[in-house]
Amino acid sequence: MKLRKITSVMMAAAMTMGLLAGSVTVSAAETEDITLWYYWENEGHQKALGEMIEKYNSGQSDYKLTAKYVPFADFKKQLSIGASASELPDLVLLDSPDHASYASMGIFADVTEKFDVSNYYEGPVASCTIDDVLYGVPFGCNCLALYYNTDMLEAAGIAEAPQTWDDLKAAAEKLTTDNVSGLAFCSLQNEEGTFNFLPWLWSTGASSYEMNSEGGIKALTYVKDLVDAGVMSKECINWTQGDVMNQFISGNVAMMVNGPWQIPTMKQEAPDLNWDVTLIPKDAEFASDIGGENYAVIAGGNEDGALNFLDFATQEEQVSFMMNAMGYISADKAIADTQFSAEEDAVYKKFVEQMEYAHARGPLAEWPEVSDAISLAFNEVMTGSSSPEDAAAAAQATIDGIVQ
Amino acid sequence: MSDGEVKIVKKRRRLFQYENVGILFVLPAFVYMLVFVGYPIVKNVILSFQDVTMRTLTAASKPFAGLANYTAIFHDAVFTKALVNTLVFTVACLVVQFLIGFALAMFFSRNFKFSKPVRGLLMMPWMIPITVTALMFKFIFGTDVGILNYILQSLGLIKDNIEWLISTNTAMLGIICANIWIGIPFNMILISTGLTTIPKELYESASIDGANKLQSFFRITVPLLKPTIESVLILGFIYTFKVFDLVYVMTSGGPVNSTHMLSTYSYKLSFEMFKYSKGSAVANVLLVILLIVGIFYLRATKEDDM
Repeated sequence: MKLRKITSVMMAAAMTMGLLAGSVTVSAAETEDITLWYYWENEGHQKALGEMIEKYNSGQSDYKLTAKYVPFADFKKQLSIGASASELPDLVLLDSPDHASYASMGIFADVTEKFDVSNYYEGPVASCTIDDVLYGVPFGCNCLALYYNTDMLEAAGIAEAPQTWDDLKAAAEKLTTDNVSGLAFCSLQNEEGTFNFLPWLWSTGASSYEMNSEGGIKALTYVKDLVDAGVMSKECINWTQGDVMNQFISGNVAMMVNGPWQIPTMKQEAPDLNWDVTLIPKDAEFASDIGGENYAVIAGGNEDGALNFLDFATQEEQVSFMMNAMGYISADKAIADTQFSAEEDAVYKKFVEQMEYAHARGPLAEWPEVSDAISLAFNEVMTGSSSPEDAAAAAQATIDGIVQ
Repeated sequence: MSDGEVKIVKKRRRLFQYENVGILFVLPAFVYMLVFVGYPIVKNVILSFQDVTMRTLTAASKPFAGLANYTAIFHDAVFTKALVNTLVFTVACLVVQFLIGFALAMFFSRNFKFSKPVRGLLMMPWMIPITVTALMFKFIFGTDVGILNYILQSLGLIKDNIEWLISTNTAMLGIICANIWIGIPFNMILISTGLTTIPKELYESASIDGANKLQSFFRITVPLLKPTIESVLILGFIYTFKVFDLVYVMTSGGPVNSTHMLSTYSYKLSFEMFKYSKGSAVANVLLVILLIVGIFYLRATKEDDM
């Protein structure tokens, strides 16, 4: 008797559960969830992304995209752990120099032929291509250029913004006072520091893999001279690009190398500061490097959903909105040309011009190791623990062990 | 009751015997340790004998590497530097923290007015999140804007600003200072507790017998505190040896790898350079050293029990 009662209750429960489960699957078939990981801590960037996603989600009912913020310092770690535990999102927005490493892990889907990237800048496309296979789509790009405080330059009697290394050093010397450093750029011993050092190396004509060359030693010596002369603060080895920008808008630094993504913050934080932008002064040729993010679709995730979102996100309307909100340059040349037509955006035009001289890092799966060797070299030189020649030779030995 | 029922009841009784119940109580903790401590350690040991890089991370079978990772790290100058750094850091912190902590504990054991609230206040460094402390010390040790250089300049002790955290010679000192500040309360509070267990009568009879302060310190306080001192030093060693967040925030191992510890270097290898197996090999060296210290700790506490 008792047993029968229990059985009937359980069966009823099972049937209700079945019904519920049924209804759940039905609604899941209507809207599938897709997740995206990104790392921008900048509030403006986050808002813009949120707005675009909101537009996507309300514009169709097949998919619902949720974005998850992962701090930049944790991003590589989370992706690695996710890859080994098979717990990855469906889509990631990642730093372009890391793209090759993750693609070689096999976690990204092949999207060749799914997107037309023929009209994109070469560098960003190269960063997501391995052996002619496209493993992602450039989101947008940026590059580094030289910012200068116009009031300080005027006060020091410098009529024209520096164009060559000699101009720059002379200007930095004139601009340096007890409280002001002439020049600053982030020189951390990591990818961020390498990003800021490469324009100097490339400007001599040397490639990233030719540290122990005339050019490599020359670039290291130039940076060493700036530090030794006291016109560039040695504290740059502890400053992020954000720290450098803060020092610049606080008036502690007269010139800095930085990217266009700082502009919205600078205008907001220091509306009265007078500054302008020019190309990074050159040795033999102008040079800068390409930064920015790429979208990558995770292999084995909800690939259809991810591609559906990317179709939406690469439309001109969306790209223009995101790029302008974030101070980025579109990787699509046609869109880049239409950007920053307003007069107050003239300063961004310099970055578009600088893009012409910008190269991509790598692409190489082992780029993090090459980057580590380069950043170690300029840190050794800046702290005086090694001569430019020795540092260059040591870096070359490491690089030769990686790149044959 | 039938025969069968009696048997079942007996079985049940046996199941709930004293020792068996004990095992049941231990079981949850044991399972927890097995899953959350045992598994990662075993996994990490296996990882260090394989060749796992970004190319093999997601592969089904990972190539066996034997001792190659260990040979490689012991030939790696940065690893040796990190190992020496970790030892220097640990010993330096331990000695200074212990001496200052001991002195403060003795001082506050005198029970003067406000001794309790002031001792409570001194616990602050131990309670502040380490990242906050690290950022604070980063500012204090700043070259051009740091308050330490400002004070030293105002006192006329230095002429040029000292490049605390950006010089390879002094960065380690900066981190050691920060860690000592954090660790003093830990030493002080444990030794204070130990001091309260020493009966006052011992000191009274010693003074009647004509012992001076120094004699009663070395003949009464130190021997009776021996178990406490051992615990403080060994636990302190373990806490200090596995330092990570403080170094990561203050210098990230720089400048020029001069402040890398085993922990930060392991992190860098694994998650910045994608050399997972080498990273885990470094982590295992750290583990082995801590295991040895842990065994000493167990032996020391066992002796005290007997």
